Amino acid sequence: MSRWQYFLRRVVLAVPVVFFAMSLVFLVIRAGPRDPVAAALGQNQNPEIAHRMRVQMGIINPDGTPVPLWEQYIDFMTDLVTLSLGQTWVINRGASVLDLIIARAPITIWLGFWSVLIALLIGIPLGFYAGLRPNTFPDYFASFGGIVWRAMPNFWLAIILSSVLVSSEGLTEDLIGVPLSWSDFLIETDVIGTASLANLGDPVSLIAAVKWILPPAIVLGSASMGNEMRIGRTAVLETINSAYVETARAKGLGRRVIVWKHVFRNALIPLVPVISSEAFVLIGGSVLVETVFAINGLGKLTFDAVKQGDLALAGGLLFVFAIFLQIVNIVQDLLYTLIDPRIGYDQS
Amino acid sequence: MSETATTELPFRERLRENPRPALLWVGVLGVLLALEIGAITSVAVTVVSGLAGAVASAAAAVLGGPVVPSIGGAIDGALTSAAHVADGLPSLLSRDVIPNQGYQTPDGTWHGTFLGLEPKYAWLLRLVLVYAYMFAFLWWCWRGYRVYVRHYRFADWTPRDDMVDRLRTHRWGQFGFVVVLLFVGMALFAPAISPTSADQNIYHTSQYDVQYYDADTESVETIAVLDANLDSASRGAGTTNIGPWQYDQYDRFHPFGTMSNPGQDLFTFMAYGARISLAIGLIAIGVSVVLAGGFSMLTAYYKGLVDLSVVFVSDSIQSLPGILLLLLVVAVFQSHWLWEIYNGGLLLALAFGVVYWPGLWRAVRGPALQVAEQEWVDAAKSYGQRSVTTMRKHMLPYLLSYLLIYGSMSLGGVIIGIAGLSFLGLGIDPPTPEWGRAINTGQDYVTTPAWHISLIPGILIVIVVTGFNALGDGIRDAMDPESEGEDAGAGATASGGGA
Repeated sequence: MSRWQYFLRRVVLAVPVVFFAMSLVFLVIRAGPRDPVAAALGQNQNPEIAHRMRVQMGIINPDGTPVPLWEQYIDFMTDLVTLSLGQTWVINRGASVLDLIIARAPITIWLGFWSVLIALLIGIPLGFYAGLRPNTFPDYFASFGGIVWRAMPNFWLAIILSSVLVSSEGLTEDLIGVPLSWSDFLIETDVIGTASLANLGDPVSLIAAVKWILPPAIVLGSASMGNEMRIGRTAVLETINSAYVETARAKGLGRRVIVWKHVFRNALIPLVPVISSEAFVLIGGSVLVETVFAINGLGKLTFDAVKQGDLALAGGLLFVFAIFLQIVNIVQDLLYTLIDPRIGYDQS
Repeated sequence: MSETATTELPFRERLRENPRPALLWVGVLGVLLALEIGAITSVAVTVVSGLAGAVASAAAAVLGGPVVPSIGGAIDGALTSAAHVADGLPSLLSRDVIPNQGYQTPDGTWHGTFLGLEPKYAWLLRLVLVYAYMFAFLWWCWRGYRVYVRHYRFADWTPRDDMVDRLRTHRWGQFGFVVVLLFVGMALFAPAISPTSADQNIYHTSQYDVQYYDADTESVETIAVLDANLDSASRGAGTTNIGPWQYDQYDRFHPFGTMSNPGQDLFTFMAYGARISLAIGLIAIGVSVVLAGGFSMLTAYYKGLVDLSVVFVSDSIQSLPGILLLLLVVAVFQSHWLWEIYNGGLLLALAFGVVYWPGLWRAVRGPALQVAEQEWVDAAKSYGQRSVTTMRKHMLPYLLSYLLIYGSMSLGGVIIGIAGLSFLGLGIDPPTPEWGRAINTGQDYVTTPAWHISLIPGILIVIVVTGFNALGDGIRDAMDPESEGEDAGAGATASGGGA
């Protein structure tokens, strides 16, 4: 099977999964115990608005007769396929769900990008370092630190970090006698709130945007960082004891060449699924991290939609996330075949 | 097998031949149980009344009508009287026997506490005794196993002996085991180890009084717990803050300090919060273990279309992050009758179970496929044994250990998840205590003198989750020493990323 055939097959297999997942979402939203209109409008609903909303959502016909559930289902799924995700009723009444998602997405992508990058840049080197020096103090320190770091709930870490940074000036003055303010460091930025990503081409605003995103990105990447460290360590330990490394050593190759050329490259393979599974952590974690740091991204939008009962918006968001995660999964499988040609296309 | 079966006496016979060690063991066990009979029955009544409440509200929602309330009332009455009986039964290690609440007169003596000790030491004594009791009890159960092995077991050696030996040298797993025990003890003995009771401190604060010595009037005064709590709340800079290991102005001792609003004792909140975390974790893992175990056997036994459809369903559930599905469930079911039970606890536990089983199923699918290939399964099949019996007798025992490992590892994830949801205000509703809500109430005070409100619950979550992960690691290494690698369970280990 060629790479393209394999790719096509993966795409075709992903379609029914998303389809079925969205059917479940439909069941929960439309056939569940909560009336989506009542959820959005609350107790004192204006009957006229409620009627318009029902018609617009396709729950009743304009003349007031209810639309059967299977017809609603077909409409719901066709709307998803054609990306007409409807309107929001609570967060930004009347706005299109798709527009809202597109408007909020860049910030979450920015956050996700940095959290993946930070986790990679810290987690993998630390894991490799620990793996090259097994059972030494630095190894124990890094391993144990990774285990604990990974078990920290994101939302708690976010609270602690944001609070410490917000009051960093007073804290450092009390502790070391010199007031060091994180907000004034390099460029003035807020810890809590959303920064503008308008012109990243300008170096000053780029630095500001990076500095602003660093704390939430570190929190969001924390669990993955710990995972990458643990798995990187094991992978290095396994490769370093393998036969071809021994052969290379017997040939008289220098340690530097062995480590860089033979150990590290092979040790990267088991890290691929960890990196891609980070996407799940990112989306789930962004709900909490964005809420704590008051970042107006997709995570906070999801939280607001759920909290305020905007089920149409919540459904649309879930659809976008499901598609995104399927894409990540497919890319992961392709990466596998690129990194290690021995991994066949037939194994999925 | 048939040869040994003829010479092997049934367990009952072996017991009758040499009853002394068993009787001794049972006697001591009886004494241990009798010491704490009150606490044990009260835990049992709590569980039963929780179940009955769930059944009653389910019945009320499904059937409705006038019959159900009367039955429900009768059950409720019976349970309330059972609770009274349970409260009446003596417990050696209870607040009544070792009270830690009293007041100090100016001459420095304490009144009302155990032997006139300082409340701090009275409480500490009770805490230490409760845990000592728990560990003694478990050690006695372990003795029971040893007695069985020495006197009654037919085989000289079983594979389990090797497992036990491996666990005995596995320090990391033992650390996890101890942490898990401390957590479970905190949950089970919450009424005994917390400095004050939940009823006094969380649910009915206006109905209880606290006595203290007032220096102004130079006499012993009485104040409602509600008002005392409001006065002793920790609200950050510029107010009075009762930090960890401090007394408040009413001579009450707070091992973890007080909370911000309305000034409850944080330790009591955490101890009762451990109960709900553990209950939800166990129900959720129970549901997902049953689903995952059942599906893994079905798919491994039948393969083909059954396998494909379960792959399909589990992939679909896993195609979205669990926390988002849970959020959606919370949003939709918020005014449903299921939500009423345990302040949303039962529904959340079930939802967690449904969200978690695909991960668990993926983890045990490999072993299930392996065992389905074994000759004994084939033999059972060709003897015409029914498929359900084959699965139960010849596949399940092999899978149970894997389910145990991954279940233990996922439990930490459920605890983090439920705390995260409660933190967002979409989990367990007040007044039922939940760790995530404690973190939420303290989030504005992290860098103030009231830092403990957020920090302590978070640290406890980290420790408990690490403990469950370590326990899972330990069991895995004990059962399957060849899987020494760390990545075997990495997919299942709980991490803070989920919430």
